[in-house]
Amino acid sequence: MSQPVLPPEPLTNEAIAERLTSTAIKQLDRGLIKKRNLVYLELNGCSGNIISLLNGQNPDIEYALNSMVNLRYSNSLMAAEGEKAIEKLMDTLDEDFILAVEGAVALKNNGLYNIIGSWQGKPLTGLEAAKMLGEKASNILAVGACATHGGVSAAKPNPSESVGLQAVLPEKKMIKLPGCPVHPDWFLGTLAHLILYGEPETDNLGRPLMFYSTLIHDRCPRRPFFDRGIFAEKLGDKTCLFKLGCRGPVTRVDCPTRQWNGHVNWPIGDDTPCIGCAQFGFPDAMAPFISYDTTRVVKDE
Amino acid sequence: MSKRIVINPLTRISGFMEIDVTVENNQVVDAKTKGNLFRGFEQMLIGRSPFDSVYFTQRICGICSSAHSMASSLALEDALNIVPMEQGRYLRDIIHCCEFLQNHIRHFYQYTVPDFVKIDQDSLFQADHDDFRLPSEINDRIARHYFESLTISRLAHQMLAVLGGKAPHNHGVFIGGITTQATAEKVVHLDSILQKISAFIDESMIPDVYDIAHYYQEYFHLGGGYGNLLSYGSFNNYKELGTLYVDPLVLTAEGMQVFDESKIQEKIDHSYFTSEKNTNSPEEAEPVPDMDKKDAYSWVKAPRYNGLPFEVGPLARLILSGLYDNGISAMDRTIARALEAKKIAEIMKVLLKQIIPGVDVQKKYKLPESASGRGLVDTTRGALGHWLKIKDKKISYYQIITPSTWDFSTRDENGYRGTAEEALIGTPIQNPEKPAEIGRILRSFDPCMSCATHVYIPGKQVKTIKVF
Repeated sequence: MSQPVLPPEPLTNEAIAERLTSTAIKQLDRGLIKKRNLVYLELNGCSGNIISLLNGQNPDIEYALNSMVNLRYSNSLMAAEGEKAIEKLMDTLDEDFILAVEGAVALKNNGLYNIIGSWQGKPLTGLEAAKMLGEKASNILAVGACATHGGVSAAKPNPSESVGLQAVLPEKKMIKLPGCPVHPDWFLGTLAHLILYGEPETDNLGRPLMFYSTLIHDRCPRRPFFDRGIFAEKLGDKTCLFKLGCRGPVTRVDCPTRQWNGHVNWPIGDDTPCIGCAQFGFPDAMAPFISYDTTRVVKDE
Repeated sequence: MSKRIVINPLTRISGFMEIDVTVENNQVVDAKTKGNLFRGFEQMLIGRSPFDSVYFTQRICGICSSAHSMASSLALEDALNIVPMEQGRYLRDIIHCCEFLQNHIRHFYQYTVPDFVKIDQDSLFQADHDDFRLPSEINDRIARHYFESLTISRLAHQMLAVLGGKAPHNHGVFIGGITTQATAEKVVHLDSILQKISAFIDESMIPDVYDIAHYYQEYFHLGGGYGNLLSYGSFNNYKELGTLYVDPLVLTAEGMQVFDESKIQEKIDHSYFTSEKNTNSPEEAEPVPDMDKKDAYSWVKAPRYNGLPFEVGPLARLILSGLYDNGISAMDRTIARALEAKKIAEIMKVLLKQIIPGVDVQKKYKLPESASGRGLVDTTRGALGHWLKIKDKKISYYQIITPSTWDFSTRDENGYRGTAEEALIGTPIQNPEKPAEIGRILRSFDPCMSCATHVYIPGKQVKTIKVF
């Protein structure tokens, strides 16, 4: 695999997602590809990734539902409830489907720390559902920090003994989309690639290179301040946030060019350091998120 | 003839929830609400930098993450003895307004509407029941708005990101207000989107909720509960603007009173916890899990005010502020959500007018060796409290009581059921095989179980039984 290089700017923003989207429309129009089934499973987490997904824009969730996938199961969106909802989940098992999982897998108490529903009168744990669906899915997407590596759900002392999805499906190939939450483009762009061209090229950690190839630091608009050694001393300052604890230098994702919520802003645009939410190890390996004392020269002020 | 109805999962809420209801002669005679995930945030926070709690606690919930950044910032300001500049409060409260709008629009259209409106799209929207009563013209209009609302709620999050960096899990709310400065460009950006959202609320959301109410009139008589209402105050006590919405108040059968935070307690009589006492103030030690405790049936604790269970949220705020007097029921709660969206948009407009561009409200903060603080604020779903203690410049104690813990608490030693449990009692169930009433009433509270079960400690296997 060739070393990822910094793509030209027009390829870094909506361009990738839009290019994939327009190709998808053409392919669908020509009847060349078929909508695939999607199961969206929420496990031990905060459901922040499905909320983020609703924020997607070109492609948006309406487009995804109309033109890309048949969403067969989503705890947050489906009209059915109770066992009738779980029945819809089970009905998908014998068909071709893409499995998207957000949230970690809680191992404690044999999975009973995260019951996602009831099936045939018995509690269905997140652990059981992840294994059962993961074994049968044609493709698997681990969506967000909790699914990719445990994330905040597995923060120390990890009372629920949460792990990332790969830990309970060690043999299965999966695409990992870290982030807290995931950016809707990272998810829908990857989904588009799956539908159109199969699995996208990933790095050795399973992250699609089209979104996760380049360090934030390498594309940060405040990089000139870093290079000249001009550092912010508090949040709100307009210079380099490195000495407040910015994790841009270790976090590989395209936030500086893509930005968030209709591409209007991102954490550094808000004069705060990147907390490395799209990096494996978040949150514990990225803590403390904010530190004011790293520039102190004299210990006793 | 006694029947048991278990619904698990209750979909279209945030998080996982199970409902266990006993029906006699087609009427609910007993009800238990249970959350179904555990992560243990209070334990995770111990030993971390107090500053990190603002960003860390947002991860309790993806739909109301800013709420936790608000409460956490207020608790830190209390502990660090910091009084934010009024400009900081305005900016922070504008972010909070954006979250209210996102929440209310998504809860009404994505979570509530499918209970009453047929959305003919695909299997995702196929309901289990057939109690759909709207004339096709109205039904189709609201179904269309279901999809339009996605764009509008997305815009509410875009406004949030203008000052908050991103949503969910914003970076803007912090000690002192927010991290960045307003500019003229940002103010008009927000105002421009706000006009679109306001128009949608006035022209679509409010007519839609009243149309649903018209065809489902009996829900004005269902899901009432105790009628005890509580608010920590919302967009209130500004130095110059006074109170734009509601002051800290409680309402019981004895009338309206000023809220007194010393009257908050958490009870564990029927929860899987033990401590020296079954009743603790929020600053006291965390009870430890005990699965074998007699009479315990749930892992959610029971907050009480002056010994009573209370309802929190939009209907409570509208009634306490004198803006709504129709009644307390599932439908009143749903209407209140739409009316509050309008009220919040108006408040945001007022706050935007106060903004002075370029004011930096941030300082370089120093942590004390030891301190304690609490942040109480009314958020979308109701009263949210964070209590924290700092020792050796690290978090040594953290306690969170969320709105959904108030609304979905267990019963207590005095026999008071949780607010939502009580709201189900007496509900007639037309068809126990397709009990649409239970979900409709519970969703009127806008349950956020990701929040309510953040300290949830399960042990025994829960027996779930199908309708029989």
